[in-house]
Amino acid sequence: MKRRLIASAAAALITLSTAAYADVVKFGIIAPFSGPFAVWGKQFKDSVEAFQKLNGKSVNGHEIQIIWRDEGAGDASKSRQFAEELILREKVNVLGGFALTPDALAVSEVISESKTPTIILNAATSIVTRKSPYFLRVSMTVAQYVSPLGGWAVQNGIKSIYTMVSDYAPGIDAQDEFLSGFEKAGGKVLGKDRVPLNVTDFAPYMERALQSKADGLFIFAPAGAPSVAMVREFERRGLKAAGMKLLGTGEMQEIFLPSFGDSILGAISSTHYTESNQRPENIAFRKALTEVAGKDAVPDMASIAVWDALGLVYETVKALGPKFTGDQAIDFMKSKTINSPRGPISWDPKERDIIQNVYIREVKKVDGKLINVDLATYEKVRDPWKDNHPDAK
Amino acid sequence: MQALTILLDGISYGMVLFIISVGLTVTMGLMRVVNLAHGAFAMIGGYIATVLVLQAGVPFLLSALIAAVVAGALGGLAELTVYRPLYRKGELPQVLLTIGLCFVVIAGLTLFVGATPLPAIVPASLDRMVDIGFRSYPAYRLFLIVVGAVLAFIVWLIVERSLFGARLRAAVDDPQMARAVGMNVNRMFTVTFIGGCALAGFGGAIGAGVLPLEPFYALRYLVYFLIVVAVGGMGSFRGSLVAALAIGIVDTAGRYIVPQFGGFLLYVLVFGLLLWRPNGLLPPKSVA
Repeated sequence: MKRRLIASAAAALITLSTAAYADVVKFGIIAPFSGPFAVWGKQFKDSVEAFQKLNGKSVNGHEIQIIWRDEGAGDASKSRQFAEELILREKVNVLGGFALTPDALAVSEVISESKTPTIILNAATSIVTRKSPYFLRVSMTVAQYVSPLGGWAVQNGIKSIYTMVSDYAPGIDAQDEFLSGFEKAGGKVLGKDRVPLNVTDFAPYMERALQSKADGLFIFAPAGAPSVAMVREFERRGLKAAGMKLLGTGEMQEIFLPSFGDSILGAISSTHYTESNQRPENIAFRKALTEVAGKDAVPDMASIAVWDALGLVYETVKALGPKFTGDQAIDFMKSKTINSPRGPISWDPKERDIIQNVYIREVKKVDGKLINVDLATYEKVRDPWKDNHPDAK
Repeated sequence: MQALTILLDGISYGMVLFIISVGLTVTMGLMRVVNLAHGAFAMIGGYIATVLVLQAGVPFLLSALIAAVVAGALGGLAELTVYRPLYRKGELPQVLLTIGLCFVVIAGLTLFVGATPLPAIVPASLDRMVDIGFRSYPAYRLFLIVVGAVLAFIVWLIVERSLFGARLRAAVDDPQMARAVGMNVNRMFTVTFIGGCALAGFGGAIGAGVLPLEPFYALRYLVYFLIVVAVGGMGSFRGSLVAALAIGIVDTAGRYIVPQFGGFLLYVLVFGLLLWRPNGLLPPKSVA
């Protein structure tokens, strides 16, 4: 009894002292910091540190506190468990994270019940934001960043194509979205291969692609070991020497380019963020990032997503103060337009999904470094899947 | 001609599996330890070689040799400290401890080297196409076949033609009898464990172009290493060579001919084969 009295007195004191000063706004982020996707967690954390270094750790005197939870190796049940813990015990004002789609889907009920505004930092399957009105996506959807590539390829002399995608939902979405644009523009499909996720030796698949004598090869594999192995085999087997163009998406992010070496030169990719673009926002972003994470730090899709998510949270606190309901926050966030380092971004108010530019880039060597250089920009690209499936739930 | 290409692809892939797995067949066959950490030694070797090539500019083959030496030394250390107490324990403690060792290595290498896949260290002289008569073919794969064949020959010489090999085979076939006639089986364990780990480290280094190095390497390819041992027959050196090559060829051919089932074909065959011969293709006498 006595101990509880002291404890509550102490708690009251602390509350009093902080209330007199300012409030704490809590942003809980659930992401993998260990396991095969650990690179996501690291990129998130570096980017958050960079953001807070540049913009401070508080808004109008209210401290913005980031609470991290490690969901490990893509474990959706853990994602849900952490969401409950963060909402009930830590009383977070905003939730975020989710590298993989199942991690995001697993929390949809929890956040709907508690009305917690939740920012998706990666999970790229189109349907996710329809699963709860409190979801808002700052990353991208696979269909979105693939959609312009098929048409671009045909216009730029790639008349026939072979596709090779990892055999999982995003891979098949990417293949379908690419082919719909490609065939609409009059391109010819010479073959479609789905590669099981556990494959490590891509030699037989590349041999098939080589025999097809197509003008280009479209690939989609989970970023990391599989995509690196796929691209390496493309080079080693002489598909490039045979005049085939390599087309991809996240495989050619700048962070992975050193894994390939010079033979990656000339590879084409389409994504929503060109890491070396010269917008002032991006220059400031990369400068802050190298200050906290070392001169070799390279931002990727993860860094940019959490950067913009924090931007949204800061704006929200600036406009609504430290106390807001989930509906207020989501309504505010989805109405914003942000000048992100990747270019201007806004949200579809109905779907709460991001609208952004998609860039077609080519790998080139500039000042001795492999980087992506923009060839074409498609402005304000929406998620085509949502427009094609207006009623899917 | 296409068949020949697939054959070459399969053999080169199989050779990498053989170099890495041959040590595992010893640990599991001779010492009866369920050693799930074997892939970790291959991974350590690969990481060391990569760091040496990229950071210190050491030539590819030399760094692969250094990697083998370091992996072997670490293997010896692990044998003396971690594995020895395990020999008398049941299979469950062995599984738990060795898988734990895997996680330690994964976390350690992630901490020191980073969480992204490592760059390929295949030198330019190998990373090109050479004309082999009917088509141009990646030089790197030919290199793997040659190195694998040489190593297989050396292992064969040691195991089948040397006194040490004769003792080793005797110890695999009947460890108790070997002890009874005065062989120092413990020391033999340590020496073969070092050799197996060194080979794994070497395989991890030169095979990085086929099995790319990344933080989960130790677990990702473990299934393949275990299949080689199971199919070849635990403790059988010839068996592991035959099994590794067969797995490489079947896996490659399956993916080429029926890509939609390619992933399954290997497992179906392994399944059938183990039903037919539960002890593997060429099991040593003790289990046959």
